[in-house]
Amino acid sequence: MSDQYLNIILDGKIVKGNPGETILQLATRNGIEIPTLCNDERLEPYSSCFVCVVEVEGMRGHQPSCSTRLTEGMKISTYNESIRKSRKMALELMLSNHYADCLGPCTQTCPAGVDVQGYISLIEKGNYSDAIALIKETNPLPAICGRVCVRPCETECRRNLLDEGAPVGIDYLKRFAADWDLASKDKFVPDIQPSTGKKVAVIGAGPGGLSVGYFMQVQGHQVDIFEAATQPGGWLRYGIPEYRLPNDILDQEVKNITDLGVQIFYNKKLGQNLSYKEITGKYDATILTIGSQIGTGVGCEGDDAGNVYSGIDFLKNMEMTGQRYDFSGKTIAVVGGGNTAMDCCRTSIRCHADKVYVIYRRTEKEMPANPIEIHESKLEGVEYMFLTLPKRVNKNAKGEVETVTCIRMELGEPDASGRRRPVPVEGSEFDIRVDYILAAIGQKTDVNFIDDINTNTSAGELKINKWGDIDADRHTLQTGIPSVFAAGDGVTGPATIIEAIAQARIASHSAHQCLMGEEITPAGKPFTSKRENFKKQVKEDYAGTFVNQLREEMPVLEADQRMNFDEVELGYAGEEVALHETQRCLECGCNAFFDCDLQQYSTDYNADQKGYAGAYKEYQVDFRHPYIEIDNNKCILCSRCVRICREVVGANALGLVNRGFETFVAPSMGEALQDSDCESCGMCISTCPTGAISENMLFKPGPVRTTQAETICNYCSIGCSLSLNHLNGFVMNVSGTPGQVNEDGNICRFSRFGYAYLNDRSRITSPMKRINGTFEKITFEQAFQIIHEKIMAVDPDENAFFAGARLTNEEMYLIQKLARAGAKTGNIGSFHYLNRGDGYRMDESLNASFGEIGQASRIYLVGSEINMDNAVAGFMVSNARTKGNVPVVLVTTKEESAMAHKVDQIIQVKSYYYFIKAVNHYLLANKLENALFLRDRVDGLSEYRDQMSTEDFAAQLDKAGVTEEVVKAFAEQYNNELNGIILFSEKEVSGNGSIALMNLAMISGKLGKSANGLIVLKEKNNAQGLFDMGISRNYGVGGRSLTDQAYMKCLMEAWKVNTIPGPVGECLKVNLSQGKVRNIFIFGEDPVGCEITGSYRKLIEQIPFKVVQDYFMTDTALAADLVLPASFPAEIGGTFSNTQKVILEFDQVLPSRPEMDSIHQLINILKSFGLNGLAGREDVFSEIIRLLPQTDEDAPAEKLALIYTHDDNSNRSFNYGCDYIVKRFEEDFEERMQE
Amino acid sequence: MTTTVTVGLGSCGIAAGANKTYDKIKALKESENLDFSLKKTSCIGMCYREPLVEIVDDTGTYIYGDVDAERAIEVIEKHVNQQDPVRDYIVYTDLFDAPENGFMNSQVKIVLRNCGYMDPESIDEYEAREGYQAMKRIAEEKIGADQVIETILKSGLRGRGGGGFPTGLKWKFARANQSDEKYVICNADEGDPGAFMDRSILEGDPHSVVEGMIIAAYAIGATGGVIYCRAEYPLAIKRLNIALGQARQRGYLGNDILGVNDFNFDIYIKEGAGAFVCGEETALIASVEGERGMPRKRPPFPAESGLWRKPTNINNVETFNNIPWIILNGAEAFASWGTEKSKGTKVFALAGKIRNSGLVEVPMGITIHDVIMKLGGGIKEGKKFKAVQLGGPSGGCIPQYLSETIVDYDSVNATGAIMGSGGMVVMDESTCMVDVAKFFLDFTCKESCGKCTFCRVGTVRMLEILERITNREGREGDIEKLEELAYEIKDNSLCGLGQTAPNPVLTTIKYFRDEYEAHIIHKKCPAKVCRPLLTYTVDQEQCTGCMVCLKNCPANAITGERKQPHLVNQELCTQCGVCYSKCKFDSIILT
Repeated sequence: MSDQYLNIILDGKIVKGNPGETILQLATRNGIEIPTLCNDERLEPYSSCFVCVVEVEGMRGHQPSCSTRLTEGMKISTYNESIRKSRKMALELMLSNHYADCLGPCTQTCPAGVDVQGYISLIEKGNYSDAIALIKETNPLPAICGRVCVRPCETECRRNLLDEGAPVGIDYLKRFAADWDLASKDKFVPDIQPSTGKKVAVIGAGPGGLSVGYFMQVQGHQVDIFEAATQPGGWLRYGIPEYRLPNDILDQEVKNITDLGVQIFYNKKLGQNLSYKEITGKYDATILTIGSQIGTGVGCEGDDAGNVYSGIDFLKNMEMTGQRYDFSGKTIAVVGGGNTAMDCCRTSIRCHADKVYVIYRRTEKEMPANPIEIHESKLEGVEYMFLTLPKRVNKNAKGEVETVTCIRMELGEPDASGRRRPVPVEGSEFDIRVDYILAAIGQKTDVNFIDDINTNTSAGELKINKWGDIDADRHTLQTGIPSVFAAGDGVTGPATIIEAIAQARIASHSAHQCLMGEEITPAGKPFTSKRENFKKQVKEDYAGTFVNQLREEMPVLEADQRMNFDEVELGYAGEEVALHETQRCLECGCNAFFDCDLQQYSTDYNADQKGYAGAYKEYQVDFRHPYIEIDNNKCILCSRCVRICREVVGANALGLVNRGFETFVAPSMGEALQDSDCESCGMCISTCPTGAISENMLFKPGPVRTTQAETICNYCSIGCSLSLNHLNGFVMNVSGTPGQVNEDGNICRFSRFGYAYLNDRSRITSPMKRINGTFEKITFEQAFQIIHEKIMAVDPDENAFFAGARLTNEEMYLIQKLARAGAKTGNIGSFHYLNRGDGYRMDESLNASFGEIGQASRIYLVGSEINMDNAVAGFMVSNARTKGNVPVVLVTTKEESAMAHKVDQIIQVKSYYYFIKAVNHYLLANKLENALFLRDRVDGLSEYRDQMSTEDFAAQLDKAGVTEEVVKAFAEQYNNELNGIILFSEKEVSGNGSIALMNLAMISGKLGKSANGLIVLKEKNNAQGLFDMGISRNYGVGGRSLTDQAYMKCLMEAWKVNTIPGPVGECLKVNLSQGKVRNIFIFGEDPVGCEITGSYRKLIEQIPFKVVQDYFMTDTALAADLVLPASFPAEIGGTFSNTQKVILEFDQVLPSRPEMDSIHQLINILKSFGLNGLAGREDVFSEIIRLLPQTDEDAPAEKLALIYTHDDNSNRSFNYGCDYIVKRFEEDFEERMQE
Repeated sequence: MTTTVTVGLGSCGIAAGANKTYDKIKALKESENLDFSLKKTSCIGMCYREPLVEIVDDTGTYIYGDVDAERAIEVIEKHVNQQDPVRDYIVYTDLFDAPENGFMNSQVKIVLRNCGYMDPESIDEYEAREGYQAMKRIAEEKIGADQVIETILKSGLRGRGGGGFPTGLKWKFARANQSDEKYVICNADEGDPGAFMDRSILEGDPHSVVEGMIIAAYAIGATGGVIYCRAEYPLAIKRLNIALGQARQRGYLGNDILGVNDFNFDIYIKEGAGAFVCGEETALIASVEGERGMPRKRPPFPAESGLWRKPTNINNVETFNNIPWIILNGAEAFASWGTEKSKGTKVFALAGKIRNSGLVEVPMGITIHDVIMKLGGGIKEGKKFKAVQLGGPSGGCIPQYLSETIVDYDSVNATGAIMGSGGMVVMDESTCMVDVAKFFLDFTCKESCGKCTFCRVGTVRMLEILERITNREGREGDIEKLEELAYEIKDNSLCGLGQTAPNPVLTTIKYFRDEYEAHIIHKKCPAKVCRPLLTYTVDQEQCTGCMVCLKNCPANAITGERKQPHLVNQELCTQCGVCYSKCKFDSIILT
C-alpha cells in the first residue's frame, strides 16, 4: 500500500483515493453526485439518513458513503437498482413522518401553479413589478385573471379555516399588482431568449392562444396568432361582459404580449379563409387554441322558438355589433347556473329588462357560478327559480317564445359529480311568461377545420375524441400530428381561463421541445409534501397560531349605479389595503422550498409521501427565539444542527430528546433557545437540509428565487464572505459563502440577521441642507459648492475630517486626500480610535493567522467575548477545542462571561493591562524571557527591564486583581506552551493593554513563530483600513510617517500638489474641545448616537459648520448643517483590510440608492479643489497601491521594540465602533431577545 | 466437619423470598444456638426452584428447593438437628436420585464454576477457588502479553455477547494499536428480554469478571477499565463495587499490579440508563463518554479508536469469565469442549413455556432439543413444543422441526436465528408466532435510538403492519411489504440493533408463513392468541345459563334466558374476550 494514495475502483474505474478520505468525498472529487442529507463537510461524519448509501464489494448490506473511509483496493458501486431502491425507501420513510407543506394549498390547487405565496410576499414589500414578473412565469394575463378567475386557490386557502371564514384576497391582490404594473412607467417586460429562428402558428387569440404567444415568444420563437374575429381575446372579449372585464384592460394585456413581438392576424379562420396548407409551409409548429365556441340550446320541446338564444351567442353578438340590446319592459329567463348564466342575467339587467329570472334545476348551493357573482346579481335585482327545469317552450303566433312550461325538481341521490341529482316532481308543471330565453347550459367545440388539416398533412392525423374535442396527449398536448399541439377548451371542453393558461404552458413546453428537436416529455413535477397527505386540515390546526384578521373587501359600484357596463369591482383603494391583505397569508408553504435537499432528492428519486404511510408526529413550531424557529414537523433527525452547535459553535444549545420514532430536536434542557447557551449565530440554519430550522423573519419570506450577491461582511474585522440573497435589491436573507477568511462559509449573527438596514426605505438619497432648523433637499452640485466655499473660508487647520471604520479603503483614502490635498489640513482621524492612544497601531505586526488557530496547543482569550463579538473566529477556536481537544484559557474581567462554558480555564482579573504587565514583570524578574529572540529581534529590552524594575510588583498584582500564584501559573504555562496563541479584542483591551500583550509575545519569543503569538480582533470591518489609508494626523497611506520626507515627496507627486501638511501635534479631541475647529466633516460615523461619555454632542454642536455623510438620519446627521447620502459598501464595491491586514475585495452587487454614490461624491468634491484624474474606484485603488510601501522580501526583518507604558489608557468613548449600523442591530437584537 | 448451610441470594432467590429464608435460618441458629455455619451464595441456575438452600454435611451435598421460611424451619430442624434429610424437598443431591439431578449433571460449568458455590462478597472464598491464580501465574511465570493472547486465540473462545468474534483476535488488534492510553470495557448492559446470565454472573462471581478484565488489560496494554452495567442491576453493581474494593486492597488493581512493572490498571463502573442500544459497542462508548447513546459507523473499530478515541477492547461479561479458567486450565482443555468452530460452553437463560426456567451452561455442540428437553425439563403443562427464540430481539425463531440444530455459532446462524447472548425463549402450541414477532419488534422499535432512518421509521412501519395483521386488518401483500422493509432495514442501519431488528419477523415468516396467511387471508389466529381474530361461541352443552357473560358483554352481543344456553351474536361481537374471561364454566369456545 502506498503512503501517498489508495487504489480504488469506483464504478468500474480505477481512481486514486487519499488516506482518510470517505467514499462520498472521493465520489464528489470524481464528479459523481451522491445524495446526502445528514452530511456537512464542516462536521464529523454521522450517517443517519442513509440516502448516501453505496455498495462496497465484500461488505454486508449498503454502506453510508459519508462515513465509510477508503481502504486499499476498495471496489465501490455508487449506483444500481438496489441502491436506488434503498435511497428511495429512505426518503419515503422520512417523508412518511414529514407533516409539512412544501407549497401552500393555493399554489398546489392553481391549475397553472402560480406561485401565490411568492407574489404575496413581493406585494407585501411593494415590489409589484417583481410580483407580476413572478406571476407571468406561469400566467401571462394577471390583470385579466385578477378580475375574472374562478379562484380555486381561494377555495383551498387555509385562511378559510379561521374564524372570519374568508380566504386571503389572492385574486384581488393579483389584480392590484397587475393594475399597478400596467399603470407604471417601467412595467415588467420579460427577458426574451435569443431568437431560435423557429416560427409557431397559433390558432385563436383567446386566453390559451395569447398565453402560448407569451410563453413561446419569450423562449425566442416567432409566434403568429391567427384569429377568426376582428379583435383579440376570444371569450374574454366576446363572452365576459365589460362590467366584469373592461376591454381596456384586455387590450393592455394583449398589447403587453404583442409588444414582445407576437403578431396577431385577424379575420383568419382555419378551414375557411386560412388553410393548414399555408401554415405548414411557413411554420415549424402549430398550436390549436380554438376554444369551445358553439352554445348549447335549452334542449326541450319548442326550443327552436324565436327569441330563444344561447347565452354565449347573446353576449358575443352584442360585443361584435357594439349594440346593446334594449330589453325595456321585457322578461328574460336565463337557464343555467354557471358563470355564463350570471353574465347573461346581469347583462340583461343592464339592458333594462323588466324582470330577469335565472332558472336552475338544482339549488343555490350546487350552482357552479362564483358566489360573489350570485350575490351581486341578486343585488342588481335578478330573481332565482331554483329546483326548476324548463320542459317546453310555448310559442306565440309569430313563432316566438311566449311562455315556458317548467317543472319543479327535488334533489335525489348524488350523481358522478358528487352533486345530488335533480328529479322532477310529478304534476308540478307551471307556466311563466317570458319574452326571451337565454340558454347558458354548455358549449361545444367547433372542429370543422379538421378535414383541412388532415388533407394537408401526411405526418399523421388529427383526431377528435368521443366528446367532440381535439384528441391530444393528456401530458404533452401533442396531437396525432407531431408538430401540432392543442390547448384550452378545444381540448378539455368548456373550462376556465386559468385552465386554458395552464394548458397553454404545457403545450408551449412540448412545442418548444419539438422545435428544438428534443424528445417531447412533460415538464417534471417537483415532489411536494402536503399536510393533507396526513390529515384533513381543520380550524384547530391554525386557530392557536394565527390571529384573526378581516378580509379586505373589494369596493364595488353601488347597486343603483350599475345600469351601465362600467366595471363593478373598483380595485383596492391603495397600497395600505393591499399590504394589509397580504398579512392575512398564513405562509403555508415552506421557506426552504428553493433549497430543500429533501424535496430535491424526493423529486429525483420520484418518492411518494404515502409510500410508507403510518403514524406520524405533529409538533408545535417553536417560535420562541426571535431569529430562529424550530419546526420539528420538517425535521429528518440528521442532527446537523445539534452537531454544528456542538462541534463548531461549541455552544451545545441543541439536543435530541426521546428515543426512536419519538425523537425530536429541542433546545437543551427543554428551555427556550434564548434561555440556553444559544449564541443566535444561526449556524443551525446554515446546516439544516430541510426547512426544520429556519430564520424567523419579520416579513413574508415568500420564498422567492433570489439573486446571490456575494460581498464582505461590514460588521466586525474578520472579513467573512457572505451572500446577500436579494430580489431586485430587497434582501430576503443572508447566507455565508466560503471566503478567504471563512473558508467553511461560516458567518455569525451579525451577518446572518443584521441585514434589515439594507431594506430600510428611509435612506438618505440626496444632499440636504439645514435651513431654519429643517432639512431641505439640495443638489449635489450645490452641496459640493457649499463645502468648497466653507473650506476655503477658514484657515486650513480649522477644518477637521473624520472617517468611520466601516468605510471602504477607497472612501477612506479619498477623505484623507481631500483633507491633505484639498483642505490642506492634517486634522484627520476617526472617532472610533479617538483618544485611545497609539497602542492599536502597533498590535498588527507578525500576528498569527486565523488559519493557525487549529494548530495551537493552547489558546488564550484575553478580554474576548469571542462567541458574541467575533463569532467566526470563535468557531475556529471552538472547533479546535471540540475536534482537536485544544484547551482554551479565558482571561476576563467579567464575572459572568458568555464564554464560561466554552473554555477549560477561567482567570478572572480586574485589569487586563495590569495582569499582562505583571506577567511580563514576573517573566523578566525570574529570567524566564526568551533571551535569544530578544537579542536577535527586539530593541529596547534593557530600558524596558529598567523601567519595569522600578515598579512595585505587589501593586501590579493588586491592580490586576490576582495573586502572584495566578500570574506565575499563567506566565509559566504560556511561556512553555509549544504553540500558544492569544486572541484579544480591542473592544475590551486598552491600547496600552495591547502593547503589554505585544511585549509578552516578544518576551516569550512567540511573536512571528508559526501557530504562536497574537491574534488581534478589531471591532470594525475596516478598522485596519484606518491605519493603512492614512486616517491619522501623523501617518499617511501604508502607515508611513509624515515626517518621512521621501514619502511626502512621493505624495505630492502623486497628487500633483506643492504642499502637504505634516504631522499634527495636537490630538484631534483637544482641537475639538478647544473650539479650534470651524468645519467638521464626518463620514460614516455616529459619534453623537454612539457616545458613552455624553460630551461629544456638545463638542460637535458648537462647531459652526458640520457635514455628515451617512445612510440614515443618525443622531449625528440630525445635528449637521449639511447631510450627504452614503452608499452601502455593496452598492459601490471596493476593499476592506481585515484585522489581519488581508485586503478583501468585493464588487458592487446592489444598485446604489443615492443618485450619486459615495465614491463619486468624494471624487467630485476633490475636483472642486482642482484635484482631478480619478474616474472611479478602480482609479482610486490603483493610486493607493502606488503609494503603499513596496515590500521587499529579501530585506532583513525590521526590528521589533519593547515599549514601556506607565499606566492603562482605557479611554473608550464610543460604543458600537461608533457605527450606526452596528448600534442599530445591537439595539434591535437586544430588544427582540428581551421580548 | 461442620455442617454448612448456604442460602442462594441472587436476584432470583431474593425475588422468591430467599432473604426471609435466610433470616429465619439465622434467627433459628442464634435462638437455638445451633452448630452449623450459615453462608450466602448466589444463583446456581435453578431459578425455578428458588429459594434454594444447600446443606453440606459429612454425608454429602443436598440442595433443597422452594424453601420458604416455614419450610426452612422444618429442613433445619430435621436435617441439621436430627441428621434426617427431608427427601421430599431435596431437588438435588449427589447421593440419590433427586428431581433436578439431571438438570445439574448435564451441565459443564466453566463460566458458572463459582456461581452458587461461594459467597460473591468474599474475595477469600474466590481466592480459595483458584481466584486470581490465573493473573498470578502470568505475573510469576512472566508470561508475555503476546503469549496470553496466543492462548486465548488457541482456545477458540468467541465473543459471548452475541457477535461471536474470536476474542483473541480482538485483543490482538487492540494490542497492535499503539497509544499512550488504552481501555478495557466490560459490556454488562444485558438488554435482551429474557436474558439474565450476565446479571447472575456479576451477582454470583464478580471477581472472575474483574480478573478476566485484568488479564485483558495486561494483554493489550490497557491503562483503564470500565464496567458498563445497567443501573437496573443494583445487586450486581453493589457486589462489583465490593469486588473492586477488595481487588484494590489486595493489589490486583492499582499500580505495578502483582509486581509487574508499569502494569497500572484500575476499573470503574459506569451505570447505564438501560437503553438496549447501549449494548452496541460504539453506542456504549458514547454513553460512557457522557454523550447520548448512539452508535457510529465502524470502522474505525474500538480496537483502533474507542473510548476517548483511544484503542479499546470491549468484551461481554461471560467472555471475561472464561478467561481466568482458560489461563489456568489451558487452551486445549477449553477447546476440548464444543465443535470445530465454537469451543467451550455457552450459558443459556431458559425462559418462556419451559418447565425449568433458569440458567444452564452447556457444552457447545449440544442440540437445542437436548437443552430444552433434558435440561429444561420439557414444555410446561405437557403442551407441544413449537419453537424457540434464540438471541432475543436480534435473533430469530427456530421451529420444532429444526430442534436438532446444535448449539454452535454457525449452525444457529444458518437457521436465521443467532446465538446472541444466550436468551432462549421457548414457545409452545399456544404461542402465536405473529404475536411473538410483534412483541420483539415492539421492543426494538422502542429501543431504537432514533438515529438511522430505516431503524427509526422502518421498524415502526413494520410494527404497524404486524399490529394490523393481529387486529384482523391484514391485507394481501402485507407479508411481502414486511419482507421488503425487513431487508432494507437490515441493509441500511449503522448498528446491530437495526441490522437485526427484523430477524424475528423474517424467521417467523420463514418458518410460520402459514400462520401469517391464516391471520391475513382467513382472519384466524391458529394459536388463538390474537383476540380480534377469534370467534367466540357458547358451548351449548356446557353453558349453565348463568348470565354472567351476557351481563358483562359490552357489545350486548350475548342473548339467552336464565338457565338456558346462551348465544353469541357474531355480528355484534367485538372480540373483546370479556365473556371468555368471565365464564366460570369454560363454556366460551374460541375458534
